[in-house]
Amino acid sequence: MATTTATRPAPKKGRTPKGRTPKRAFRPRTLVITACAWLLAAVFLAPYLEMIVTALRPKEELRDRTYLPQNLEWANFIDVWKESELGQNLQVTLVVAGGATLLVLLVSLPAAYYTARMRYRGRKLFLLLVLVTQMFQPTALLVGLYREFHQLDMLNSVWTLILTNAAFNLAFAVWILTAYISSIPPELEEAAMVDGTSRFGAMIKVTLPLALPGVVTAVIFTFITSWNEFVMGLTLTTEPDKQPLTVGISNFIGNYTVQWNYLFAASVVAIVPVIVLFAFIERHVVSGLTAGSVK
Amino acid sequence: MSLKAPPSPASSGRGRGGRAAGPVSRRSGIARLGPLPWIAPVILLILAVVVWPVIELIRTSFLNISIAGKVRGSAGTDKFEKLFEESDFGAVLTWTVIWTVVVVTATMLLSLALAQLFNQKFPGRRITRWALIAPWAASVLMTAIGFKWMLNQTAGVLNTLMLDLGLIDSSKDWLGKPETAWPWMMAVAVFVSLPFTTYTLLAGLQTIPQDVYEASRIDGAGPWQTYRHITLPMLRPAFLVGVVINLINVFNSFPIIWAMTQGGPGYDTSTSMVFMYKLKETDIGESAAMSVVNFLMVVVLVLIFLKVSRWNEED
Amino acid sequence: MVATGAATLCMALGLTACGGDSDSGDSKTIKLVAADYGDKASNASKVYWNQVKKEFEKAHKGYKVDVQVINWNEIDKSVKNMIQAGDEPDLLQTGGYADKVADDLLYKADEVMSAKTRENLIPTFAEAGEVDGTQYGIPWVSSSRVMFYNKDVFKKAGVKSPPKTWDELAAAAKKIKDKKAAETPYALPLGPEETQGETMMWELGNGGGYTDADGKYTLDSAQNVETFEWLKTNLVKPGLTYANPASTDRKTAFADFAGGKVGMLNGHPSLIQMAKGGDVDYGVAPIPGKEGPLESTLGVADWMMAFKDGGAEKEGVKKFLDFTYSKKMLAFDEMYNLMPVTQDALKTMQSNGEHKDLEPFFEVLPKAKFYPLGDTSWDLVSAEIKKTGGKAVVDDPKQVLGDLQKKAESAAADTK
Repeated sequence: MATTTATRPAPKKGRTPKGRTPKRAFRPRTLVITACAWLLAAVFLAPYLEMIVTALRPKEELRDRTYLPQNLEWANFIDVWKESELGQNLQVTLVVAGGATLLVLLVSLPAAYYTARMRYRGRKLFLLLVLVTQMFQPTALLVGLYREFHQLDMLNSVWTLILTNAAFNLAFAVWILTAYISSIPPELEEAAMVDGTSRFGAMIKVTLPLALPGVVTAVIFTFITSWNEFVMGLTLTTEPDKQPLTVGISNFIGNYTVQWNYLFAASVVAIVPVIVLFAFIERHVVSGLTAGSVK
Repeated sequence: MSLKAPPSPASSGRGRGGRAAGPVSRRSGIARLGPLPWIAPVILLILAVVVWPVIELIRTSFLNISIAGKVRGSAGTDKFEKLFEESDFGAVLTWTVIWTVVVVTATMLLSLALAQLFNQKFPGRRITRWALIAPWAASVLMTAIGFKWMLNQTAGVLNTLMLDLGLIDSSKDWLGKPETAWPWMMAVAVFVSLPFTTYTLLAGLQTIPQDVYEASRIDGAGPWQTYRHITLPMLRPAFLVGVVINLINVFNSFPIIWAMTQGGPGYDTSTSMVFMYKLKETDIGESAAMSVVNFLMVVVLVLIFLKVSRWNEED
Repeated sequence: MVATGAATLCMALGLTACGGDSDSGDSKTIKLVAADYGDKASNASKVYWNQVKKEFEKAHKGYKVDVQVINWNEIDKSVKNMIQAGDEPDLLQTGGYADKVADDLLYKADEVMSAKTRENLIPTFAEAGEVDGTQYGIPWVSSSRVMFYNKDVFKKAGVKSPPKTWDELAAAAKKIKDKKAAETPYALPLGPEETQGETMMWELGNGGGYTDADGKYTLDSAQNVETFEWLKTNLVKPGLTYANPASTDRKTAFADFAGGKVGMLNGHPSLIQMAKGGDVDYGVAPIPGKEGPLESTLGVADWMMAFKDGGAEKEGVKKFLDFTYSKKMLAFDEMYNLMPVTQDALKTMQSNGEHKDLEPFFEVLPKAKFYPLGDTSWDLVSAEIKKTGGKAVVDDPKQVLGDLQKKAESAAADTK
């Protein structure tokens, strides 16, 4: 975060006025920008729209070279729930993503706070260690993970997935929070501590609210990554009703055929909660970020 | 946010160890443990979930394991030798570097432009920013499968579109040959990396105070000069974060290639990660060796980059 | 701080070190890991196995069955993980068994099956489960291959009868292309899914194959190289098949055929239901060889095997196998339109008239040739063929097959 010179005002809740600027709306420059932005938005949404279209194709039309199917098979979106354990998978993923996010916050916040504020021996080492672990991908560690959790008799448990997802997202959270907290002036906490609050209390009462945008970013990142995680879910769960969404969806890839319409219907179902979450939070991220600029 | 090692707290009169100069009476034994209670949970979690499998991985790379999965004894450095002697090894490594460099560069450049664009005020900004989230919200695997579906020779909608636009004269099997598969996979990789990077840069842009721009305008600087000398430098921290995270993620990227070509035909579209995964089918020890080599490469890559951008120096 | 870290690490390692290897589940629980032949919940193999489990537990009180069904695309990887972690199942139902024999992980078939059940197995299959004369692999289902063709496409292209030789096949494909009767005249899937199957079907047509009479690998024999040269020159180059066969999977080929986009291809019984579902007027014929139709088609079997260290007592495993190999198998075969491996099931399927569409497959089954399943190095060789075999129609066949031969020879040497 670029250093701010003034004390950061408390982030405004609610919307900062932006967007519509009444009379200037039709200057040529704005027109071009708007057109570009909308075109790009369309490009970004296109693959997912195609998924929806495919999900609506009846089986016979899956190999037809048409933009839209002649008959819309809305039933696919209903059948997909019956033809898989989608409901259970959704529950599992919800619990795992939520749990992992919570765990990451609980664990990384104190660490980031202390690292940002205190100059302790091994501080750089700690940060480096955290960064290095970010470089290990679960894909390379599957056998070790399987072995470990098998010996702990924790296969097919949501806790396994919560722990693993949390661990692999720690690095990012620690780095972001450390950086963010560093840019908050310590004087405010000092003031609280002079009054007798413990350092931990000061962290909760004073720093946390100010660090909210950083926290929100860490939350979003961890949630989305855990929501979409695949290889660990595949390796560490074996029963269909204990598997997360990503794995459940992949079961539509069978031995002789792929149930493309169900596959994409389920994928669309999987995207919706994330978008909803983001819709709620995005407002806070942006307003929190703009609160930092000096007026 | 900054990638630089966050500034050591300016002591403001404190000694090492960072005890607040204040009333001593509340100091419990806990404070004497220093950083431990604060960072221990992180370390424990990492040790338990990440480090233990890593040790297992390194151990495996020195073992001789049968195709059924049974350990048959130590292999010393044989697996590493076997790995380096694989005829496809050199090509895989080369392509991994090309893949990483192209995707990260394209992502960063495009994100700069996108962040700039979405920083402007225009009608519908909020909605279009939402749309930007889509590739990030969807799992990379699903997006890759979606693209594979759209590029299908028989009925893929992208082929149909290109045919109708007259760009090609017959439907092509884009993912079947390496020459056409690589560009498409790189495009998908950029596609899924753009949202996160753009938002990171957007956050960086929005922390640049308005009066800096005012001042430069008063000084008569043109938009391009403003961009080069004001915006870019102030974006540096956010930019660095974006590059490092993308470097790591793209280098280790797996679902895109696996879903779209499975690294085939043969190993022609494999990066080192995909190569490692395919090796698991025939020689687990060798696959582990590849993972170890892979990891070392990422470390070297990131360290070089950090050195080059002088992360440790507060500038 | 470092000290704490080291202490924690030691704790963690210690925990796992003393964790022990084999599952200490009780010995009356039979752990079954099976492959999923379905592609959605309504036809998932779990449905079948849960039914068997219910009936078995009722008939044999005191025993429990723990069923785990895994997607075909993942099962081999999952089983590898299990074995590596020392978590072997009691029974495994999957595509290959010999590599586990090499590590001495399996019971002999006569240790876990009563004589009566063993005699009920169709001899050709029982023999295919032998390694050096001892039966370890217990056949589960079988299938053979015939050529499928789209009657409408043939009519449109003016092809009067299904081709019997390679040259006739190429000519028919050319007609289909010229008349634009189908998008892909001949579907040749040489992608990583089933290259080893498609390859063998073509190599058999030229008197080639994977092994010679002594069981030694002959992947790059002159006949095999010739086969691929023919394919390259006569099907791939003239554009009579997919542009990139080495990256095209059987799933795609089957889906295209069921969608009416393919003229001919080598097919498996499951294609019958798919074709019917796609309203394709299909016909079947023996697979063409160089000089005439194949005398011995490719036979494929999937296997059941029993692990020594699974944890359950041998008696329980035996009871379960005997139970399942009774008429229970018929239900499985009918669910997926696969072919039986037991004589009584075969008799039933042939006589009850409900399986007329399988008749062409039944006919060619007795003389079917199998992969060298009893060779403990076959699984590795098969995996290598799947990865790179398809490139024989892209690059120089002699080189590609030669590389594979080298790998096969070293694998064979390793497992001896």
